[in-house]
Amino acid sequence: MKSSLHAGAVAAAGALLLTSCGGSGEDSPGAESAEGMDICYVAAAESHAYASPANEAFQNAADELGVNVTLLSQEFDAQTGTDQLRTCIGRNPDGIVLWPLDPQAYIPGLVEAQDAEVPVVLINSPMDEEAEGLYTSFTGPDTYEQGQLAAEVMDEALGGEGSVVIVAGQAGNGTTIGRTGGFHDKLEELGSGIEVLQTVNADFDQQRALELSRDLISQHGDDLDGVYANDDTMARGFIDAWTESGRALEDMPAIVGINGQRDAFASIEDGHYTATIVQSPEEDGRLALETIVAAATGEEVESRIPIPLTVVTEENVAEEEPAF
Amino acid sequence: MTSAHTLPPRVTDEKRGRKLLGGIALPVGILALLIAGSVLSEQFLTARNLTNVLINMSIVGIIVVGMTFVFIVRGLADLSVPAMVAIGALLALGLQPALGSLPAAMFGVAAASCAGLINGLLIGYARLNPVITTLATGTIVLGVAQAAVGGVIVYGDSPGLQSFLTGRLLGVPVIVLIFLAVALGGHLLLSRTTFGRWVYATGANPDATKASAVPLRFTKGAAFWMTATLSGFSGVLLGLTLQTARPGVGTGYEFDAITAVVVGGVSLLGGFGNMPRALGGLLLVTLLSNIMVLNGIATESQGLVMGALIAAAVALDVYLRRRGGAS
Amino acid sequence: MNALKKICESPAVLTLIHYRVVVILVVAVILSASLVPGLTEFRTLSLSLDRAATLGLVAVGLTVVLLLGKLDLSVGSILALSGIAAIGLQPQLGQLGAAAFGVCVGLLAGVLNGVLVVLMQINSLVATLASMIFLRAMCHFVTESNPISGADPLFGLAVSRSLGGTFSLRTFIFLIAIVLLFLWLTYTVAGRHVYAVGSNEDAATASGVRSGRYIFGAFVFSGLMAGTAGVMQSLATNTGSPVFGSTVTLTAIAAVVIGGTRLEGGRGSALGTLGGVLVLAAITTALEYESVPSYYQNIVTGSILLLLILLDRIASNSPRSALSLSSLLPVRSKEQSPAR
Repeated sequence: MKSSLHAGAVAAAGALLLTSCGGSGEDSPGAESAEGMDICYVAAAESHAYASPANEAFQNAADELGVNVTLLSQEFDAQTGTDQLRTCIGRNPDGIVLWPLDPQAYIPGLVEAQDAEVPVVLINSPMDEEAEGLYTSFTGPDTYEQGQLAAEVMDEALGGEGSVVIVAGQAGNGTTIGRTGGFHDKLEELGSGIEVLQTVNADFDQQRALELSRDLISQHGDDLDGVYANDDTMARGFIDAWTESGRALEDMPAIVGINGQRDAFASIEDGHYTATIVQSPEEDGRLALETIVAAATGEEVESRIPIPLTVVTEENVAEEEPAF
Repeated sequence: MTSAHTLPPRVTDEKRGRKLLGGIALPVGILALLIAGSVLSEQFLTARNLTNVLINMSIVGIIVVGMTFVFIVRGLADLSVPAMVAIGALLALGLQPALGSLPAAMFGVAAASCAGLINGLLIGYARLNPVITTLATGTIVLGVAQAAVGGVIVYGDSPGLQSFLTGRLLGVPVIVLIFLAVALGGHLLLSRTTFGRWVYATGANPDATKASAVPLRFTKGAAFWMTATLSGFSGVLLGLTLQTARPGVGTGYEFDAITAVVVGGVSLLGGFGNMPRALGGLLLVTLLSNIMVLNGIATESQGLVMGALIAAAVALDVYLRRRGGAS
Repeated sequence: MNALKKICESPAVLTLIHYRVVVILVVAVILSASLVPGLTEFRTLSLSLDRAATLGLVAVGLTVVLLLGKLDLSVGSILALSGIAAIGLQPQLGQLGAAAFGVCVGLLAGVLNGVLVVLMQINSLVATLASMIFLRAMCHFVTESNPISGADPLFGLAVSRSLGGTFSLRTFIFLIAIVLLFLWLTYTVAGRHVYAVGSNEDAATASGVRSGRYIFGAFVFSGLMAGTAGVMQSLATNTGSPVFGSTVTLTAIAAVVIGGTRLEGGRGSALGTLGGVLVLAAITTALEYESVPSYYQNIVTGSILLLLILLDRIASNSPRSALSLSSLLPVRSKEQSPAR
């Protein structure tokens, strides 16, 4: 289903183009005015499987348009990020792209950006409702929606009832909250009979997930019907713990992960991984850059520009491309 | 704490009593946990769960062996552990296509070992403060590691080594066997060799040691070199068993190792402690964590218990020593 | 080797080594001013200082702890917990009341550390490791691991906005704290006792200084400063998060050490800490402006740290370095009581 992903991307770009044509009046929009523009990008991290390709795509898209990018890396520390956002504003750039690691903490900074009349685009993660109106647009996948999709797949796989455990990311992290919250809320909305036995925080770390999963398996063992991991890395940790405990791969609970990693695809093909949810980091980075450039040149942009999420299961795994 | 000028304590009844109490506190604690665990959860006292406990403590256990030497030579602590674990894991996987899996693994250990040599020289010979030195070298080494891989996940491609390491030999997980071999080696080195005597002498009384022809600088430096090498080895094992590695892979291992050694009653003031104690501390911490997960206690709240445990363990240790007239 | 030694011991080099903090600071500022256009503008300067204020406040508290030869690893956790209190208790205590309570939380956490280190005689490295883990878990426990936010996001802007075109409130608090600490350490008897206790606790006790009280006080002060920093941070972001402050501890220790304070205790100054904080701020500003990946920033910071402690060692080893304060202090103390 590579084609569908591309179709989605084209559609999103098209929407962008449409709105841009609609809003800009006689100013000639596009490349000329973008040339030499300064964009400040507060990224989640520089050294990360998802963030690195997203940053790279962001930079490449900027190079194509002749836009200067100053990249600041929060290293997954929201506290650093709030300071960096203010530093960005102080530099008076033409636009700011912010990767929020916390649904709230950047709000005062966004207020200042508004005062300074610097447009801000959020990339990758959403913020709370209070922030609405303070930023121009939010592009990227929605972690909450990912959680909801995961819940749907899980509900379907288990036929609406059973016991699951959640291997969550770092406690207090925005992505963890979105992906876990969406999962819980969707199960409730569906009126599903699925019971969440326990949630452990494995910090998006495979080894932590492996260690905690050993204990989960000892405790719940054969009662487990499903496992929802906040990302594929941690799902891998659970699978390793399962085989290590001497159990057969065939008896494995339904596994649902997120990110669409290469090894998750391989496991889906082998038939012992129920589903993963793909989001493309390249798409994520490129879309954010294009949106901020559009906003900075004075065009109207949609306040929410999603990138497509694709649920990959045994049925469509052959047609999909892993995200990384 | 004025233990710096401790005279050789006389052997008195009180000292023996103190020693006895200090010696049995840890086994009693472990026994209590075993009983509590089996009461609280029926899955606890199964061969499978107890094997898991052993596997879970193996990776950090290898680091604990090194950290014990650092504590006993009065080296305070080695904060560069996460960086050493990271370069071990990253190189062992990243160089596999170029070198083959075994040479790549050896290269990973060697790289950590070289960085450890720098630690050893700076701390042992240039006599820099260990905490700040290992903080600085750790920051640099981790930065270099991140720059080298450009900051993404490195995947491995040798499932052969992985299945060997996660498999079993005579019914015992291989990774546990490796850990036990390292632990035994560390124990023998510390208790049966001249180097082991130097380690205690260096930590117990640096001034007297200098006079008695013990190579003070060498011993202290060697402890840090060992810890870095073992951390690198641990990182290699981690990378090979997971088949993925990223720069943050070692985060937290330094504090996990310090916690284990401290709970085992090995003193930061140097000159006291042994390998079984440190590993007992590790066992206690791992069992406690296991019991809490089995009983569904939220992961992040476990720190309330861990923090209190560390404070209690050291307070008990200090109390026993004071009672024994050691200060 | 001899030639090297000669160079190292020449008066010019020794002078440079003695004023190494100033030298590094000047180099860092010139470098960043040449890389970053407009850095010398007051507005940019004010913003950079505001950004350094959180780290700075934590570093001020740590300075005294380090001067006494102790270590405090728990400041990051204290920062988070105080911030959570300052935001979470707003409905009950009002905005100012909650902020004051947040500062008190920092103070109480400092008292806890003081009890562990002084009364229970636990080595400070281990004691604050325990409280670091404990207080961090407390943060997660009271917030159920979700960041919490206050009612009015605009209230906290007063903290980080520049006052009348000068510096922001937290910058002022940081600068005032530095100056007060400098005056206290330099011009009061109690301040000089800190140095005495730091260089040789036993000797100081023997000569009638109540070492324990100073150490207890230092931990309380450190908690207070971390609490203040946490409250400021949380007000400025209108958020109390259980993951705030996870990286600040080691950076703050690095800043204090770059500023010339020794981990072994007994030497250092408040102005040095100001220098250390500014060095890190200047480097960060310059490298961020050039979009240098943060891991290269780590390599640079680590190397500077290593270079400075090596220089410190050279300066204090050199027999003719009357310039170096450390040569006047009892050398043995550093081997006997390494950062207990």
